[in-house]
Amino acid sequence: MSSREDILQNIRRNTRVRYERPDLTELEENALTYPDKVTQFCAIMKQMGGEAVVLTSEDDINEVIKSRYPNAKRVASNMKEVATGEKIQLITCATFHPDDVASPAELDGTDLAVVDGRIGVCENGAVWLQQDVEQRAVYFISEALVILLDRKNLVNNMHEAYKRIDTGEYGYGVFVSGPSKTADIEQALVMGAHGPRSVTVILL
Amino acid sequence: MSTKHSKAAGEFLKNKDMAAWHDETLWMVRAKRDKMSKEVPEWEQLRDAACALKMYSNSHLDQLLQEFEKNALANGAYVYWAKDAGEYCKIIYNILNGHQVKHFIKSKSMLAEECGLNEYLEEKGIEVVESDLGERILQLMHKKPSHIVMPAIHIKKEEIGELFVREMGTEPGNNDQTYLTHAARKNLRQKFIHAEAAMTGANFAVASTGECVVCTNEGNADMGTSQPKLQITAFGLEKIVPDREALGVFTRLLARSGTGQPITSYTSHYRKPRKGGELHIIIVDNGRSQILADPEHVKTLNCLRCGACMNTCPVYRRSGGYSYTYFIPGPIGINLGMLKAPLHYYDNVSACSLCHSCQNVCPAKVDLADQIYRWRQKLDGLGVASCEKKLMSGGMKFLMEHPELFNLALRKAKWVNAFPRWMVYNGLNDWGKEHEMPTFAKESFNEMWKKGKINE
Amino acid sequence: MKVGLFIPCYINAVYPEVGVASYKLLKSLGVDVDYPLDQTCCGQPMANAGFEGEAKELAKRFDRLFERYDYIVGPSASCVVFVRDHYGNLLAEESHRCASEGKIYDICEFIHDVVKPVSIAASFPHKVSIQNSCHGVRLMHLSSPSELNIPYYNKLRDLLSLVKDIEIVEPERPDECCGFGGMFAVEEHDVSGRMGRDKVQRHIDTGAEYIVGADSSCLMHQTGIIERDRLPIKTIHIVQILAAGL
Repeated sequence: MSSREDILQNIRRNTRVRYERPDLTELEENALTYPDKVTQFCAIMKQMGGEAVVLTSEDDINEVIKSRYPNAKRVASNMKEVATGEKIQLITCATFHPDDVASPAELDGTDLAVVDGRIGVCENGAVWLQQDVEQRAVYFISEALVILLDRKNLVNNMHEAYKRIDTGEYGYGVFVSGPSKTADIEQALVMGAHGPRSVTVILL
Repeated sequence: MSTKHSKAAGEFLKNKDMAAWHDETLWMVRAKRDKMSKEVPEWEQLRDAACALKMYSNSHLDQLLQEFEKNALANGAYVYWAKDAGEYCKIIYNILNGHQVKHFIKSKSMLAEECGLNEYLEEKGIEVVESDLGERILQLMHKKPSHIVMPAIHIKKEEIGELFVREMGTEPGNNDQTYLTHAARKNLRQKFIHAEAAMTGANFAVASTGECVVCTNEGNADMGTSQPKLQITAFGLEKIVPDREALGVFTRLLARSGTGQPITSYTSHYRKPRKGGELHIIIVDNGRSQILADPEHVKTLNCLRCGACMNTCPVYRRSGGYSYTYFIPGPIGINLGMLKAPLHYYDNVSACSLCHSCQNVCPAKVDLADQIYRWRQKLDGLGVASCEKKLMSGGMKFLMEHPELFNLALRKAKWVNAFPRWMVYNGLNDWGKEHEMPTFAKESFNEMWKKGKINE
Repeated sequence: MKVGLFIPCYINAVYPEVGVASYKLLKSLGVDVDYPLDQTCCGQPMANAGFEGEAKELAKRFDRLFERYDYIVGPSASCVVFVRDHYGNLLAEESHRCASEGKIYDICEFIHDVVKPVSIAASFPHKVSIQNSCHGVRLMHLSSPSELNIPYYNKLRDLLSLVKDIEIVEPERPDECCGFGGMFAVEEHDVSGRMGRDKVQRHIDTGAEYIVGADSSCLMHQTGIIERDRLPIKTIHIVQILAAGL
């Protein structure tokens, strides 16, 4: 017999009581919510070691990014434009498209990546990125990460977030909450363990 | 009266400063966990939901695992089933060997520890690099984790500084945590880039989508799996959850419980192989399906491996991970060890004062202390109960079942007070090593009552 | 309402004054209380050490001794909760049962939840630090466990608040285990001793003169350490404060 059959048979033989799936409706309906999502999201991002910036209608998005990362020379982005309120702004601060590399190793040395965030979660600062480039390494290997997120896509908690995640055909998705970090040496918190040392979410 | 645990704990406590630091540091994590949990008003309902979800999924493993397999195959992944550690190691080796992999990078996986993967692969000439900073430090030191979430919690920065001077060419004497972390970042960056395959464990495997979810703070799982195109993910079969709705519950609990963060920096959902790449998923049993048959201990399968029970355990904090003989320490490790091989791991059962704090912090409500109590009842049947304890219990039983003897003993007990110290505080009196003996009363309550001194 | 006073073995032998205070306190609150003679032990020490079987006869004996009472009340949360949580299982095969587990109370719980006095005559002009014992807190629910996200409550504090001139505090890590744990204190004496020393120090750090608790076992363990290390604090059972002056 194959191991698969062996394991399944063992499971069937050893399962004593079959418990019902719990109904989560009440929990989800009564879960943590925030009266002002933007304020909460900005506060929690700070707590997670990142920063959230609210874009005003006068702001030029490229200027905002450049002013925050003035020394970034290699800037990767696959984003062409974003809608900011009434107008569409072109993303011009990028110096290359992350898929214009022969291998993901070439992305080493990227100073900044500008990426698209789908959902932001107010209880924990997590932003859902759904892979829309071939080289998802760009999310992790860059020294800094700027996530552009429509403030309409802020949700209160993880229950709401998972309901919003498309059940369709993504190959990879990740909730990113602030910079890469570690406390593995004597519990001292250090930003930039392997991935971005700095994360800024720009709320559009 | 002693066990391997109690002896090792005694050694651990000899270094008073280190022991105090260990206790304080882990208590700080517990305190962060308390703070986080209190910021979520529905916290206790969340724990109830997590427990109920696990009870559901672990009692429908046959269905959920097959659903997972079907969806994972449809996603383009390869799916393997490993009965035991040997099969698990072999499957991984065959995948790596089939792709001529010589450099292999992996993120933290307790399953790999459980199955001895690194040793197996290294013997076959494959370089295995741990990418979690704590795990990497231990790997370079040839040491084992002492905590499942903070594996190097027992190592001081000075030791790490010295290690990095040798291994990474850092400045001697510079033991600053930020400096050392960034040196490791630079060093491991090259390992990521040159690896030919990457591996992760999984915190959750979602049946309805066939995806594996991995939570890290460092981003090491993602650094690894976004470089080489060959990805291996392996999980113990109790990691299965039915769907994304369930993930909503577990992702809210995991990091808050384990490290006191609202969520880990990265919660990664691996669903399909990368373009031109391969994704191999291994479902591992290694004794888990056997636990299903044990109603007294089946709830250990609820465990999310968050480490909260270790952080709160007053014994773990004061004895360190190495004092336990199973590779997972603390309350959950005591129980998992006994389920694995009771005759090997019974020494850990003493490491519990039955304070029950672990049960209250467990996000999936594993009845950890109740289970330890039940294990204690089984030691005698296994033939490994402590002789002295048995003798004491038997003696007490005899005495207590005979009130006339008990009363006589109560009358004589006060004579013990007058014994010279050398008779009372000798090497045989383990109580006397830490405490003064209690002073027996001149008259017991029984005696006073009989003489009418109380109810006059 | 007839109450049978349960005096655990070590209180009988070492702390009879706790038994005396319990009796006087209940009497003063108008409770019809009696002491069934020849009590020994509830069986907890054997069971926690892994010899539950050796507690069976004691459980039977206990059950018979308290057969004719409406309530069983004892000044030791840990022993009481052992009876409550384990006797049903231990005596599952017995045909004749008086079901002690259904009518047993820790004395604080009994006074707080059943007697519900609005005042107590006692005065105790001292600062006391509450020993929130593990079994009292987590199994008997005498106070809100620090791990749970539930509103704060503490039945010991409520009762002590009725005492005049008293100052009540709780230590840092208010319900961390003191390290007694029955035979744990002997088998794991290094860890147990460390836990006890840490606990006593946290009580001392509050500036309290007394450690007050509902479990003489935890107090006995801490007393042993206080005496060995000659530390500047004393222990006292809560009933001795509540019965002060009786």
